[in-house]
Amino acid sequence: MSANAGRADRAGVRDGETAARAVELAYIAVVAIVLLLMMLFGLTMRAAQAQYLDVQPRLFYVLLTMHGAGMVGIAGVAGAVVMWHFVRRHVPVNTTVFLANLVLFLIGAVLILGSGFIGGFAGAWTFLYPLPAHSNGIWSANAAAAYMLGLLVIGVGFLLLHLDVLHGIWRTYGSLANGLGLKQAIGLKPEKTGPPPAVPAATMASIVNVLGIVIGAVVLILSLVNLYVPSFTMSALVAKNLIYFFGHVFINATIYMAVIAVYEILPLYAHHPWKTNRIFYLAWVASTVMVLIVYPHHLLMDFAMPPWALVVGQIISYLSGLPVLLVTAFGALTVVHRSGLRWDTPSGLCFLGVLGWAAGVIPAIADGTIVVNSVMHNTQWVPGHFHTYLLLGTVAMFLGYMTWTAKEVPHETIGTEPAAFWLYVGGGIIFVVAFLAAGSASVPRRYAVHLAPWLTYDRIGSLGALLVVLGVGIMVVQFLVRVPALARLPMTAVAQPLPEAAAE
Amino acid sequence: MLRLAAAAILWFGLWLPPLRSGLESDMALHMTVQIPLLAVVGILIAPEVRRFEPRWLAEADWLGIPGIVLVLFSTSCWMLPVALDSALGDWRMEVAKFVSLPLLVGMPLGLSWQRMPPLGRLFVIANIISKVGALGGLYLAAPIRLCAYYRLDQQAEAGSALLAVATAAIVGAFLASFFGWSWRRPFRDAWKGHRAVATATDASPSLPT
Amino acid sequence: MTRGFLPLLGFVIATGLATLGFATSGFRVVTTEGARRLAVEHHPRAVPDAVLVDQDGRRFTFAAYRGKALLVEFIYTNCPTICGILGDDFGRVLATLRQDRGTSGVDLLSISFDPARDGPRALRSYAARFGANAPGWRVAVPATREGLRALLKSFGVVVIPDRFGGFTHNAAIYLLDGQGRLVRILDAGPPATLLAEAAHAVS
Ligand code: HEM
Ligand SMILES: [Cu+2]
Repeated sequence: MSANAGRADRAGVRDGETAARAVELAYIAVVAIVLLLMMLFGLTMRAAQAQYLDVQPRLFYVLLTMHGAGMVGIAGVAGAVVMWHFVRRHVPVNTTVFLANLVLFLIGAVLILGSGFIGGFAGAWTFLYPLPAHSNGIWSANAAAAYMLGLLVIGVGFLLLHLDVLHGIWRTYGSLANGLGLKQAIGLKPEKTGPPPAVPAATMASIVNVLGIVIGAVVLILSLVNLYVPSFTMSALVAKNLIYFFGHVFINATIYMAVIAVYEILPLYAHHPWKTNRIFYLAWVASTVMVLIVYPHHLLMDFAMPPWALVVGQIISYLSGLPVLLVTAFGALTVVHRSGLRWDTPSGLCFLGVLGWAAGVIPAIADGTIVVNSVMHNTQWVPGHFHTYLLLGTVAMFLGYMTWTAKEVPHETIGTEPAAFWLYVGGGIIFVVAFLAAGSASVPRRYAVHLAPWLTYDRIGSLGALLVVLGVGIMVVQFLVRVPALARLPMTAVAQPLPEAAAE
Repeated sequence: MLRLAAAAILWFGLWLPPLRSGLESDMALHMTVQIPLLAVVGILIAPEVRRFEPRWLAEADWLGIPGIVLVLFSTSCWMLPVALDSALGDWRMEVAKFVSLPLLVGMPLGLSWQRMPPLGRLFVIANIISKVGALGGLYLAAPIRLCAYYRLDQQAEAGSALLAVATAAIVGAFLASFFGWSWRRPFRDAWKGHRAVATATDASPSLPT
Repeated sequence: MTRGFLPLLGFVIATGLATLGFATSGFRVVTTEGARRLAVEHHPRAVPDAVLVDQDGRRFTFAAYRGKALLVEFIYTNCPTICGILGDDFGRVLATLRQDRGTSGVDLLSISFDPARDGPRALRSYAARFGANAPGWRVAVPATREGLRALLKSFGVVVIPDRFGGFTHNAAIYLLDGQGRLVRILDAGPPATLLAEAAHAVS
């Protein structure tokens, strides 16, 4: 190869890096802004329940729908950018597809916001059939359709992104099973030959999300047809199962993507790599298999399943993430243990993410058991559980990645960083504990107007939420002001050469 | 040549009364056997037609997108209950079906597929699965008859059949990608009489973390 | 993007949309039932002048109804399901007609598509079951096979055997105006709606 060609090659790689970096920054900025906005919606709801604010129930339900859909969607986008950034070091992925996902997400978000704030759609983010078509005149078929179309557009973006990632993994490792490290897990090959930790995580998240989206699209199409041709009906129970399949998968996948930040960032601080041993691979394989086994169960629920089957299914579905959680928590502890790791905001957030995830699973398992289930299931215990692992898990990991990215810009310390971190952690704990406490006192979820005896929980919760908003707000602003500098940063990092083994 | 012969036999076989009326007497067979097989006729002739494809067309079919969009429209047309009915009630529409499915679905699919990047192919497959599943769901649950020529119970059966096809496609696609070629290779080698040397041929690179 | 890509794509999309639009009568119908209703509404059609035989054994044609609105339904007397409902519906229309004489410019006609089994006896017993009397409400069968086929075709009635020795068929009530043209295909419904449509058709 001539020197010239070599130089052109390097220039090409540099352009590729710059483009990838620009899109990543755009992702982070979008997530940061939307996250903050949705948190403000959440704060408004909590303050309304606390009777600090006067919010009409109708607006409350619009906010609830928008908050639910917006948070779930943005958690997906947050997971996507973390996954893409790190998995790109190991497998070939396409920047255009990555950008397309963001653009489609924004289009979908506009449709969804329009359906809520213009069309008044408030059928909850789960759009449970046949509610969207039965609004009692509160919203029109068009508003419901805009909402579902928005979801469909967002789904298309994620489908493309995950397929691209899976394709890259397939090309590099020969199969998705190899991407998960199945051979290493069952002892066919030595541990050392296994994929780096980001790859099994990306493999699992992408597999389950593709399946979830393909099935979610079916329900969305059916619901859309039902809106305009009411004589086309479907079984409400089947629809519910399909929607929950889609919803659970998508929301759980956010954490499998975001956790990659932990695998990649903590070791940088500890100067010692994440140990990918046989147990690690086994855990990812086990979680994947459990998810895949559990979900047909969701789909079959309408065939009058006996109660014990439902309970077992429920528990397995919560436990399916457990193997991964355990190896992650254990791995994080070993990385951190006696490493002399320097704690700062990014490393603290990554570590917190693992703790939040673990803490969020405990109430979920409690909720999964039948006795508790009949008492707790429609109380604020449920938002308590998922806010724990989403707000203090997924979001913490994303914020860890965001602040870690921002650190690349040398800056004179503003001195607020630790404060932001502690506001967020402290506020977050107060906020979720208030939900859990309210739940054990049987305060129902999804109520716009709360009774007097519940107000204490609501007020404490609002205080926590306010602290969270402040903390996250500071981090977001600090990131956003650095975006121009980050974009101008010289691109020194060059993608690692692709492994030759890719070729047949 | 073999392919052309196979396509011709398949096409005429489908046209001949016993098979034609047999498949069309049942909505499920009509939708999941006859229509796909007619598309297969087109897929079979595509490689032979490729030689005669004008250059400008091959070029304009960028990444196979126009071709796939054509397939999308043609299949959408034949998914409409009113179209199925018309093929049964009007011999001209029946002819149109026998001509358009090979030429406007199978053939463009075969030609454009080659030009599509892998991601595009995966995306198309995922989309088809969703569509077939949704159509199956609609037919399964619709309380009214949508086709004048089929009974309600046949319609529900067709719905179940379509759902079964979608499910089989999901499971198949998943297994194929999950155990990609590096897993098949030992079997293939063993089949060929080679000694299976999994470790030597395997494609799991070890990467620095 | 290559040269020719956008024009080709545009062409495919335009023709695709046009075909789809054509097949769905302008994106309005997806079923044959919907299509024929829309077609009749926009283009009233003349019906074939087939000879029919009523419950009293008398022969007649559609010409007998000139100047009046005519409500038609297609039945077979052995039908265990829909045809009974259709008969009941016509019975209620008849009762309403008797109550207010003002709208007596409307006649009823039930046509059987099962000539093999529906001879005069069967027709008479069906008529008796619902209180049908000629000429206000004839229960009739086409005199010839060709006549039957022509009638089914022009009304868009599709009859297929079910699995129990009977038939599955599309159920509807057909409205002919004073000039004997098929102008509406209606769902079975309250007599008032049917009569209002009928009154509209003769005026
Ligand atoms: C400052 C942060 C947040 C606040 C103040 C907040 C507040 C709330 C409130 C008050 C509710 C309604 C609870 C009820 O049912 O009574 C809610 C529901 C919900 N939140 Fe949050 N939230 C926050 C962060 C998040 C995050 C980070 C996520 C996900 C990534 C999230 C996802 C959801 C979901 C999915 C629901 C359920 C919506 C429904 O019931 O339809 N929230 N949130
Ligand atoms: Cu009948």
